Amino acid sequence: MSVVIRRAVLGLVFACSCLLSLVAAAPTQAATPPQAVVTGWYKLILELVRHTSNYSPPVAARSFAYIGVTSYEAVASGSDNLQSLAGQLNRLKTLPSREKGAIYDDAVILNTVMEFAVTHFFDRTGPTGQHVMKKMAKRMDEEVTQGVAPDVVTRSRAYGQILSQAVFDWSQTDGGATVENMGFPLDYKVSDKPGHWVPTSLIRQQQAPLLPEWGKVLPLAMPAGSTCRLSEPPEYSEKPDSAFYKDADEVYAAVKGLTDEHRTIARFWSDDPMLSPTPPGHWINIALIVLDQQKADLPTTVDTLARLGVALSDAFIGCWDSKFEFDLIRPITYIKKNIDPNWDALLITPPFPEYPSGHSTQSGAAASAMTHIFGKALAFDDSTHEADGIKPRHFANFRAAAEEAAISRLYGGIHFRPAIERGLTQGECIANYVNALKTKK
Amino acid sequence: MTAIRSGGLSLALALASTVAFADDTPAPRPITPIFQEEQAAESGVDTVYNGDWEFMVGGGVSTFDCDDDGFPDMLLPGGSGKSVFYHNESKKGGAIVFKAMTSGLEVDNLLGSYAIDIDGDGIKDIILLRLGENIVMRGKGKCQFERANETWNFDGGKAWSAAMAATWERGNTWPTIAIGNYIDPEADMEPWGSCTDNWLHKPEAATPQRKFANPLPLTPSYCALSMLFTDWNRSGTPSLRVSNDREYYKGGREQMWHVDPGKVPTLYSEEEGWKYLRIWGMGIASYDLDFDGYPEYFLTSMADNKLQTLVTLPKDGKGPASYKDIAFAKGVTAHRPYTGGDWHPSTAWHADFQDVNNDGLTDLFIAKGNVAEMPDFAKLDPNDLLVQNTKGNFIEMGLEAGIASMNVSRGAALVDFNLDGLVDLVVTNRWKPAQVWRNVTPDAGHFIEIGLKGDGGNRDGIGSWIEVKHDGHVLRREITIGGGHAGGSLGWHHFGVGKDTEVEFRVIWPNGATDEWQKVAADGFYWVSPKRAAVKWE
Repeated sequence: MSVVIRRAVLGLVFACSCLLSLVAAAPTQAATPPQAVVTGWYKLILELVRHTSNYSPPVAARSFAYIGVTSYEAVASGSDNLQSLAGQLNRLKTLPSREKGAIYDDAVILNTVMEFAVTHFFDRTGPTGQHVMKKMAKRMDEEVTQGVAPDVVTRSRAYGQILSQAVFDWSQTDGGATVENMGFPLDYKVSDKPGHWVPTSLIRQQQAPLLPEWGKVLPLAMPAGSTCRLSEPPEYSEKPDSAFYKDADEVYAAVKGLTDEHRTIARFWSDDPMLSPTPPGHWINIALIVLDQQKADLPTTVDTLARLGVALSDAFIGCWDSKFEFDLIRPITYIKKNIDPNWDALLITPPFPEYPSGHSTQSGAAASAMTHIFGKALAFDDSTHEADGIKPRHFANFRAAAEEAAISRLYGGIHFRPAIERGLTQGECIANYVNALKTKK
Repeated sequence: MTAIRSGGLSLALALASTVAFADDTPAPRPITPIFQEEQAAESGVDTVYNGDWEFMVGGGVSTFDCDDDGFPDMLLPGGSGKSVFYHNESKKGGAIVFKAMTSGLEVDNLLGSYAIDIDGDGIKDIILLRLGENIVMRGKGKCQFERANETWNFDGGKAWSAAMAATWERGNTWPTIAIGNYIDPEADMEPWGSCTDNWLHKPEAATPQRKFANPLPLTPSYCALSMLFTDWNRSGTPSLRVSNDREYYKGGREQMWHVDPGKVPTLYSEEEGWKYLRIWGMGIASYDLDFDGYPEYFLTSMADNKLQTLVTLPKDGKGPASYKDIAFAKGVTAHRPYTGGDWHPSTAWHADFQDVNNDGLTDLFIAKGNVAEMPDFAKLDPNDLLVQNTKGNFIEMGLEAGIASMNVSRGAALVDFNLDGLVDLVVTNRWKPAQVWRNVTPDAGHFIEIGLKGDGGNRDGIGSWIEVKHDGHVLRREITIGGGHAGGSLGWHHFGVGKDTEVEFRVIWPNGATDEWQKVAADGFYWVSPKRAAVKWE
């Protein structure tokens, strides 16, 4: 590896040094370790999620699912130990297989599928993202093909292309492929009934809610968006002795009495679209941290990213199905009307109905999927927002992280408690379908 | 009369205007401004803002009179190509005609420029903002310029610069200049989070001040695309507003710096009321829209733009730096195209408040254009002309006015190029020639245009306030260098005055000295110096 190329590879690595450390350790004549190809591209994906304007959390989660499945199948197709997800995931009947007896290179295949997936799922990113994607592809290709026989390179690239095209074609059938106007419908009738969601923002685009039809997107592992529906939220009432009022008063009091720790927690999990990798990106980054910490092998790496991606995507579908079933009012609207007209939440209230909490549902699902793979006792330090000046937080296990993510929405003043607690439960229900997938033969 | 007494007057007027606005009757439709595009063959202007990724920002225009003929001349950036200086050869009231002329300002990699008289010799100098070294060009007269980085100890750095603002700190004869820097141009594989430090160039400590001290980094910096020294609380000491592009910073936000004489700059904090706001900040325009004595700030961005007004009016120059967004209420979100059929969100760049129909109410122009080929944002994104009505709301009139260009616009200047009392328009475009429009509004009101001749080094009276009485209000304009997107204008200050044939005005100078009100005939150009009667310019 020349000095010039080594310097170039340094540029591929963003906040995490996963790829850097693995590449630097590789002998000069050897190809880049395949799992480093995967994690290197995922670091770029997290940046692209942040910097692609239509990447709201549900959209980001969907891409994580399909990209995760793509990379998993790239490896499973050449593994004696991994089982394909074709025939297990909804509507995915078969996938192209490798030619028997022929030699392939996993790193070349992975680089091909990751480049394909990133350029197709992030085709709407801006000029800077496009610029970086091209540079990443070129430099990564130089890395992975070094020392690999030309015929193996050709064969591996060709297989990567047909495999990723097949997964992409499958992705186009779920109803979630096209998102216009950043997910905000141009025509939408806001309910005028008491207790229903009304816009909470003075931004014109957000006078309609985000992705009101997302609950109808076809999930990958659970049968339908409505599979894990929730019980109704507390009955709407403006009477001070009602359960609904008490839930609102709890939010009001919580924000009034925030401690420094509460503020830190709220901001740590805020995960605002276009200002962070979004909530699903936060969990993908947790997975990258843990994979690095565990020095995970290639099968574990792709299995984790596929399961987590599917869990996150299905969680947002299920959550959105419930959100627009109940169409519940946000705390800021209720509290300003009934408790304190001058009250303000700590966090920006997201532009869609309240119940259940999206972060809670997806964190519940993510924690369950991660626990299924790594167990209940794996502690980790979450440094997702370190580059934004937010200090890492330590968690004893995945469930603890999910519970903190969930309660952060109450501290932030954007959710009532039932949306938080039942969101976690809904996430677990959804993750059960992901955990039932068989990846080991 | 002191500035404090002026503030008291403002409050009274503000109350009066609030009462007037409470009326439920619809405001009459404002006079429709009419602009006529001058074709390149006639106007002589054909500069293209060219270039790839590195020129997705910038394209700023500067206008200034560099040969003392009263007509504003102009510098247009070429991006990856050479910039072009245009001498204004228009006749008063006639067609707008420019002629490209060799001036010394012809450089490549230029993103924008601002005119400023740095050495106080009465001749405009120019600061060139570039991808690479910024250059200070000393005006030699007759529109000729020479490099002065070394003479004036101006470190041009090697960053990607598209923002600049200047002030004369109290007691200084030499300006303090802030330069806003963008992404690290060498971090093309990891541009996100690579914002390079903005720099503050203060005068040297020795007197007489004849050069700059070494630049001071304004850390943290968050990819500034517009900066403005503005006396937001009328304390007499301008602060530095910085509008930052959230696309590239990490942990960033909109900023405002205390820049107090003799002190290290410090950021306004949340404890001081400065709120946490993160936008794709690209341009700043300011004007006292509600006649309360304090400027409102329009911030360009992607999708919704912001119009900020103070939550609480300061007292004696003190009060929380808290702003609320009134863009929605005032009709200036300008969040998507209003014509052309493209419903995607807009991308806004340069903005400026000027009265384009001379009705005594300032209007808002916004240059629009996709970053490059972002499919989730409008490709056909017409420039906006939001005309203010008598209730303080803004009506989109870009189409009727004839300025709804669908080119990918960036910089602009609203300046009276032919000295007919109507504000004309020039807009730069990515990959296409700049466009020039002549304002030919048939029913426009009267006007007054004022030029300042300050004392000491600050010859153009930067930091002054010009106040004009009209229709029971006081129109106020803070005289600044900075803001907009990568360019600005230095010269006549224009006020529309409706049906008024006489105009009462005064100037509050940067040192706080306030001239007496003086009355002059409308439809004239006047030079004003401290404590002296206005001199009509013919």
